[in-house]
Amino acid sequence: MTSSRSDSPSLARVCLAGLVSWLLPGLGHIVTGHRARGLILLICITVTFWGGIAIGGVQDTVDPQKRFPWFMAQVCTGTHGMVAYSWAERLRARPDHAEHTNPSFESINVAVVYTGIAGLLNLLVILDAIGRADRPPEPLGLRANATAAAPATKQGMT
Amino acid sequence: MAVCAAMAWIVVSGGWHTLLLLPLALSVAVVYKTTRCDNLRDVPTATVALWATIVAGMFAVGIALWLVFSVCVVWTG
Repeated sequence: MTSSRSDSPSLARVCLAGLVSWLLPGLGHIVTGHRARGLILLICITVTFWGGIAIGGVQDTVDPQKRFPWFMAQVCTGTHGMVAYSWAERLRARPDHAEHTNPSFESINVAVVYTGIAGLLNLLVILDAIGRADRPPEPLGLRANATAAAPATKQGMT
Repeated sequence: MAVCAAMAWIVVSGGWHTLLLLPLALSVAVVYKTTRCDNLRDVPTATVALWATIVAGMFAVGIALWLVFSVCVVWTG
């Protein structure tokens, strides 16, 4: 028999999972015990976002003046988006910033799509972290999942 | 130094930038299947299947749009 506390998700736990998931993609899963899943999401979204920045350059890719809807999507990556935005703003404040812009229109487009999709994927991750906040923690590692299923079944039978 | 680091260091030119669809589709497939699969052991297989579906679908959409464009060009002379 389980307690009522584990039956209903704690509001604080759900809010924490959503908030930390926004701050760092996948961290909500890690905090709630789904470590392997969180690590996969963290690596994947981080690589996608900073891969986009590497393609287009931070100054041209993260620009709320020119591409506000895409900027909103980029901010959904949390810390990544904020760091990139503050970096881009610092560069734009320099007197020689125009000399360092990316001349390739295609590269900028691809970079904006990469970073924007990373943010939109993090929205999915945030919702998933909120949904999993009340579930029991998963063991770390792919192989451990199969062994973890057996005690759970046994417990359900008794 | 910071300016140099902020420049794009992956240079993509010509038609090669369309190939960047492949890693982006892979990223979407990994994240989606990681959130959907209950068992993490199913994620690699499901990811590859979804990635192939996305790429094939985008390729089909590209061909369809190219055909529509070609037909429009022929009709308009």
